[in-house]
Order: sequence, then structure tokens, then C-alpha cells
Amino acid sequence: MALEKIARNIPESLWNIASEKLIEITLNSPNASKMPSDLAKTILYYWQRDQLATEVGLHRLLEASMILEPEKTISLMEELGLSEIVVMLKETV
Amino acid sequence: MRDVFCMVEFGIEFVPRDLYWKTTFYAIQAEKIGFDHLWITDHFNNRNVYVSLAIASAYTERIKFGPGVTNPYLVHPVVTAQAVATLNEIAPGRVVCGLGAGDKTTLQMVNIKQRKPLATIRESVHIIREITSGRALEMQGAVFKVSGTKLNFKVARPIPIFIGAQGPKMLALASEIGDGVLINASHPRDVENAMTFIRQGVDSAAKKFDDLNISAYTSFSIASNYDKAFKAVVPVVAYIVAGSPEMILKRHEISVEFAGEIRDAIVHGRWKEAFSRVDNNMVEAFSICGTPENCVDKIDKLVKVGVDQIVVGSPIGPNMRKSINMIATEVFPQFKEAVGEKRI
Repeated sequence: MALEKIARNIPESLWNIASEKLIEITLNSPNASKMPSDLAKTILYYWQRDQLATEVGLHRLLEASMILEPEKTISLMEELGLSEIVVMLKETV
Repeated sequence: MRDVFCMVEFGIEFVPRDLYWKTTFYAIQAEKIGFDHLWITDHFNNRNVYVSLAIASAYTERIKFGPGVTNPYLVHPVVTAQAVATLNEIAPGRVVCGLGAGDKTTLQMVNIKQRKPLATIRESVHIIREITSGRALEMQGAVFKVSGTKLNFKVARPIPIFIGAQGPKMLALASEIGDGVLINASHPRDVENAMTFIRQGVDSAAKKFDDLNISAYTSFSIASNYDKAFKAVVPVVAYIVAGSPEMILKRHEISVEFAGEIRDAIVHGRWKEAFSRVDNNMVEAFSICGTPENCVDKIDKLVKVGVDQIVVGSPIGPNMRKSINMIATEVFPQFKEAVGEKRI
């Protein structure tokens, strides 16, 4: 399933915390150099406009964190109690 | 709330050792929380300062920015003039130019000596100012000779020039010819000492003291736990101790021999040894370090000796994003009006 659809399944009540944690995973990843430049620029675009804790922002953060840290991303979704998303993400790996 | 509320500006320094998108991410964050200035360092072994500034400028709208600092030994002042003029086209009125005599260690790597630093800076400032003013420049200086040099495009507004300085003569020169002076200091005693020479420079130029922006370019590390902040700042302080003149070491009761040993360990790549020799006194002398309360107290002292801008310099903290947020929530409310969201 496309990450865009997966991001849509994150409940709005968790957008802020999910965004916060995905940003931390992305910024602190030792694999940060694997970030595609186009994706980085899209994230910066949403960051500038305060849209990282929205459906579109989360989609891009999820995309980035799955490239840099797939295991940590899946663990984060488990921590947030999003078991359906965990299953969906595992299918993409 | 401090009695210096609203009078002080804050700048932040980033070292483009990090990937461009991380530096830009933090630049956006810095603007959101209310920093006034963004300074990006210029070392040839990191990512290019002007490319980094150009992308940061594209994702920000208000924050002033510039190289902090470039040097005329590696980059000819006509090229610096061209670069800041181009940035000024991207972000009109937001560009400042930070200039200094360069980092000795980095210059040594490419076999460049810091000859005639005072004349080099004086002439560089003249060249940058004239060229960014749109005038053709003829100059036969002691260091630079230019003939009929002119940009092929117009620069909409003047670009303020800030000069990095530490020694008495450079401080006086910076204050005489600069729009701002960036004092390489984190301790109120060093800034107080610098003020004597800054006043001399201002007097010799017959300009108003208040027209000069006096900035303390500090090494800064903030965390909720002092030990974490200390650990993060140690490598930076080791380099500062290693490169500090005898006069400054003595002012802080740091043994010159001991500093020499740290320098020797750094030069020979014995990092663990170098860093293990950094003690609390050195960190106190050469950084703003600790909990938010520790940092606020020291900033307050710097402002009280006459600083207009506090530059929060490397390392900023053990976790860049969290430390910037901590500055927003714990430090700025003591000195600044609220700007946007406090925690981002």
C-alpha cells in the first residue's frame, strides 16, 4: 500500500506526536545521507508552512523515515498503538 | 523578565558540516522561534557557505543572514561582494556580510598565511562596500589592487558589514569601519575588555556608539542537564583554548603551558586526551553552557556590559532541535517579545 494511504490512517489526534517523533527519527538518523534531495525539499516546504503535522506532511515524513530508519518507524507506530499501520508498513519493506 | 527585555537581538550560527537539508530545517526553526540573525560559517572543508545561505533564504522570510564569517585570504573580496549582492537579490534587505581574518588552522591546510590582517580587512571592507554600492572601484592598496572593478548588476540596498575580532587592534578597526563587530567571546570579562578598544574605534571614526551593532559570538550549549550541555561543548572549548592568545588565557587563569598541551594533542589527533583536559573553568571562560537558568544568567551579564546581539554559536546543544526549542521556551521569554509558536 502506498505510504500516502498509510499516512491517511493515522488518526488526527496523533498527528502532532507522530510528526514530532518522525522528525526526530529523520534528523537523528545515521542514514540521513540516504534522504532523496527532492523529498528533503518537499519536507522543508511543508515545515516552512507549518504543515508537517498534517496528512500531507505526515505522508512525506513517513516516506523519509521509512527510507532512513524503517525498523524505528515501525516501532514508533507500535508505540503509538497503530497496529493496522504497523502491518501496512511491514508490507512495504 | 530581565530589565534588558526587548533590547537584545539573538543570532544563531550553523556549521554546514551537516547535510544541507538539516541546516535548512534548523534555519527555518530558528526563524520560527524568533532568532533575528542566521550566521553560517565559511570553511572550505564544509559545505559552501553561499549555497547554504541561498537555500536557507529560500525557505525563510524574515531572518537576516550572512556568512559568519568569511575571510579575504581564501575568498577575494570582489567575489564576496558578488556573493552577498546576489543573495541580496534573493532576499532584499536581509543580507549581512560577516568578515574576519580567518581561522589560522584551516588556512594553514592550504598553505595560506594571514599576512597584514589589519590592512587586509580594512581594504576588503572598502572593496565590498564600494562594489556593492554599484560604484566602479580603482584601488592600489597594500594588499589588494583592483582596477575599474564593477558589478554588472545593481544592488538594491546597502549590505551591512560585520567584522569578527578578538585582539585589541582588530576590535578597534572593526568598530571604526564596520557596521557591526562580532566579538569572539562568551565571557562578560572578555566583552568588557573589548569595549575599551571598540570605543577607541568608534571615536576614531567620529561615529555614534549606538550606530554600531556589538555582538558577542559565543560558543553555546544548552540542555536540561548541565553535564549533557558540558559534554557537548567540550570539543569546541578545547579548540578555543588551543587557539587563544596568552593574554586571554591569563585573564581566565588558564595555564599557557596547559593550553599548549591541549593544542599539541589536537594537532596530533589525540582527541580523547585533548578533550579530557578541558575543565569547568575553561568551559566557563569560553562558552555559555548549562541549564536554561545558567545560560540566561550569563546572557544577562553579557547584555549588561553592552552587547546588542548574542550569537548562539556551535554546538548549541547535545540535540540541536531540542536545544533550539529550549532557547525558545526558556531563554527568549527572559529577553524578547513572543514570536509565533514557542515550541516547534
